[in-house]
Amino acid sequence: MTSRIRGITRRHGLLLGAAVLGAGLSFSATAGATEELNALVWCDHTDPALIAPFEEAHGVKVNLKEYEGTGAALAIVEQSRPGDWDVFVIDGVDVPRVVEAGLLAELPADQLPLNDIFDQVQMTDVTHKDGKMYAIMEKFGYNVISYDKSKVDPADMRDLTSLWSDKYKGRIAVYDYYIPLMDLVALKMGMKPDDITADKLPAMKEELFKLKENSVMVGEVVSSTTALATGEADILIGGGEWAVAVMQAENPNLDWVLPDQGGILWSQSLAVFKDSEKKDLALKFVQYIMSPEGQARLATSSCFWGMPANKKAGAALSDAQKAALRWDEQEAFLAKSYRYFIPDAELDAEMLDVWTEFLQH
Amino acid sequence: MSPSTPRQSSTRARAWGFLLPALLWTGAFFLAPLVIMALYSLWQRVGTRLVTEFTLVNYHDFFAKSFLLKSLLNSIEVTLIVTLVSVLLAYPLAWILAERVPRRWQRLALILAILPFWTSYVVRSYSWLLVLSEGGILSNLLLDLGITAEPVSFANNRGATVVGFVHFFVMLLTLTIYANLVQLSPSYRKAAADLGAGPLRSFWHVTLPLTLPGIMVGAFLTFVLCIGDYITPQILGGNRELLLPQTIMLQIARRSDFPMASALAMVLMAVVSLVYLACARWLKIDRV
Amino acid sequence: MRGPLLHLLRSLPLWGYVLLLYGFIFLPVAVLVLFSFQDSRLPVPPFNGPSLRWYEAVFSDARLLEALANSVVVALTSSLAAVVLGFLAAYALARHRLPFSGLLQGFLTAPLTVSYLIIAMGLLITFNALGVPKSLLTVGIGHVVINLPLCFAILYSQMGDHQANIERAARDLGAREWQVITLVTVPMLWPALFASFFLSVTFSWDEFIIAFMVSRFDVTLPVEIWSMLRSGLNPKTNAIGSFVFLISIATVLVLDLVVFRSRKA
Repeated sequence: MTSRIRGITRRHGLLLGAAVLGAGLSFSATAGATEELNALVWCDHTDPALIAPFEEAHGVKVNLKEYEGTGAALAIVEQSRPGDWDVFVIDGVDVPRVVEAGLLAELPADQLPLNDIFDQVQMTDVTHKDGKMYAIMEKFGYNVISYDKSKVDPADMRDLTSLWSDKYKGRIAVYDYYIPLMDLVALKMGMKPDDITADKLPAMKEELFKLKENSVMVGEVVSSTTALATGEADILIGGGEWAVAVMQAENPNLDWVLPDQGGILWSQSLAVFKDSEKKDLALKFVQYIMSPEGQARLATSSCFWGMPANKKAGAALSDAQKAALRWDEQEAFLAKSYRYFIPDAELDAEMLDVWTEFLQH
Repeated sequence: MSPSTPRQSSTRARAWGFLLPALLWTGAFFLAPLVIMALYSLWQRVGTRLVTEFTLVNYHDFFAKSFLLKSLLNSIEVTLIVTLVSVLLAYPLAWILAERVPRRWQRLALILAILPFWTSYVVRSYSWLLVLSEGGILSNLLLDLGITAEPVSFANNRGATVVGFVHFFVMLLTLTIYANLVQLSPSYRKAAADLGAGPLRSFWHVTLPLTLPGIMVGAFLTFVLCIGDYITPQILGGNRELLLPQTIMLQIARRSDFPMASALAMVLMAVVSLVYLACARWLKIDRV
Repeated sequence: MRGPLLHLLRSLPLWGYVLLLYGFIFLPVAVLVLFSFQDSRLPVPPFNGPSLRWYEAVFSDARLLEALANSVVVALTSSLAAVVLGFLAAYALARHRLPFSGLLQGFLTAPLTVSYLIIAMGLLITFNALGVPKSLLTVGIGHVVINLPLCFAILYSQMGDHQANIERAARDLGAREWQVITLVTVPMLWPALFASFFLSVTFSWDEFIIAFMVSRFDVTLPVEIWSMLRSGLNPKTNAIGSFVFLISIATVLVLDLVVFRSRKA
């Protein structure tokens, strides 16, 4: 009996060892062959349809790391060594403080299509410092209201205050991102987002509590869009084209609109790290993303859709895609939209506390 | 026999040699990180910098801000409910598997119970979301059966979180209680029967106390795993309320406030240690 | 006549309970598998007739398959390390009287009482402070931390006096220590070794939070699925979940036939 058991142990041991060794060898073979570019990105950059053309054209490999929020991204960067990262996708709101921290390399403005970008999206006050360009806006969209038009009255959706009434109690999902949501609350209260100060927070907290009582859930991208899809919620406050465009092909009842009080404009930008050892390749990547084809692919990326910053991308988008993005209404929307309010560190901490209390309510 | 012959001391040395790798690993990758985290909990994040002066401000904030303290209370409540429900559901199942299922089918039954948990945890949680959502499987079933007139939602609340947790821990507890039950010698019950005890009394006074260690081990594991879990409440809870792991992740993801997150983690560890001390006498490893 | 009928009636509630509970356990998996064949873009009811497009999508997704391979490698290597370290430590403590034995046992099993989230945070902070780059190796290290106590506990509990006697006999017959271990102890403990390896693989395979926090570009399957889900609910994740489920059924069947049957023979 012992010898047979021994035989089995030995056989299995050998098999196991061979499997592990084989797997290990195959890994070391593939690594380290081609030139690599390391990018810290949002999920819409991981779509193979976007990345593969660039990789093939230049014979390189793009390593992508997604992050949850700018705080997490900055933590990742803080904890890395210089040269670990080449390209950075940053929320428009956060560009100034990243520039302040001295993390970004100067971008050659003459080699990038800055003038092709929608005027209000260029945001040179955010992307430039002392006359030098550090980031370029690549995509934008709105945090407004997404809804199922077969279940709600679309006219009501044009007025933010209807979400605080009893008519839609228990039908609302709230997008879990404190800055645009608190900006929307400010708009509802008749303020502009930039008017938010610490003494207005208690009043905003009351409004938020009332909204929470009207809502069925608070969630990030997946759960909130799922709620719309399953019918758990009929309205998503903080949603926009990014929440519904992907699903519209199969559920044409999903729609989005900018309310009369105005909308909140989100934007994301692309930048190159100062310590990157591959600045030329990184610049080529930025140029690819900013090209009309790259912009069109980014705009319709599988994670979430959004408006391409480059106007010329319109030529590369189909009519159905432009309709989903409400391409023709953009000028009107942009005129009525406000950027994210950028609080200083202290106010930011207080706003986060209010938001945490909101979640706990 | 001299106190320590050369052979004995070389055996001793060899024993330490065997023990050392595991000790070093645990020391370097478990203990040291915990100590470093404890250190961080005494520091503070101001703006974007780490201020390395000792301060208790993180702990003070935790007790002062009611919404942070509430997340601990919520976690304890949810975990206790989950543990209780899971034990109550698992015990009968374990008992049936150990006592009523023919021996040769028992292993298959156990494997069948574990198999569903070989799908991805994250995907499984989202599947529960689909089952429990308005317009989901359960809602449609109730509509079809005529029990409800409109679609109903069971998701995005504490109940859904509890269901998601119980789903996993019923399996875990069934295994631990079963393992304990099968090791029990039938002579105890035979003796009780001989002494005139009916099946119910025999169970209550003989079987149940003997399986208490199995229950306590399973319950303790349930408590630890449940109170520290981030995914299930995040996916199924709808942010109706916050549990402690979610509060911790908020500190890391939104603010990279590792000092505060570390302080919250220390609080979590303290709670678990208290529970461990309460259950300690059942949690010793007995050798066969 | 009445006996068997009564027996059947009395056992009906028992089997009803078993069916109910197994139904509960399998419910999300059934939904998962069903909607992996969904024809439309969302894995929500109503179910649109079976389609294999999501399985095709899974197999053409290189990142996903790479993550799958990474998960396998990390699970197998970290479990192997955990079993070896756990075995050696258990052997040392069970077969020798060492000072502070109780304390050492407690120390080695302590990680069982600490949540994975805290272990993950600790490792993250430590690796950052030391400048160690994050990778599959750091994930593997984390997985050994969580599995080592388990392996140690299982193996230690099975190293009783019965086996000790056989080992002593072998030693008396002239076997050297390494022979005693490899030819006597290991075969005797084969079920416990297998159980601890199997459990370690199971925990490592599906572990999310440690892998999420201490990996960089090469990720394991749960992390890749989480990233995939960031873009919205997708039947593709159902497909990979079902695929993993099918593989585990197949693995268990194979193991059952190869390992257990041959032992019985």
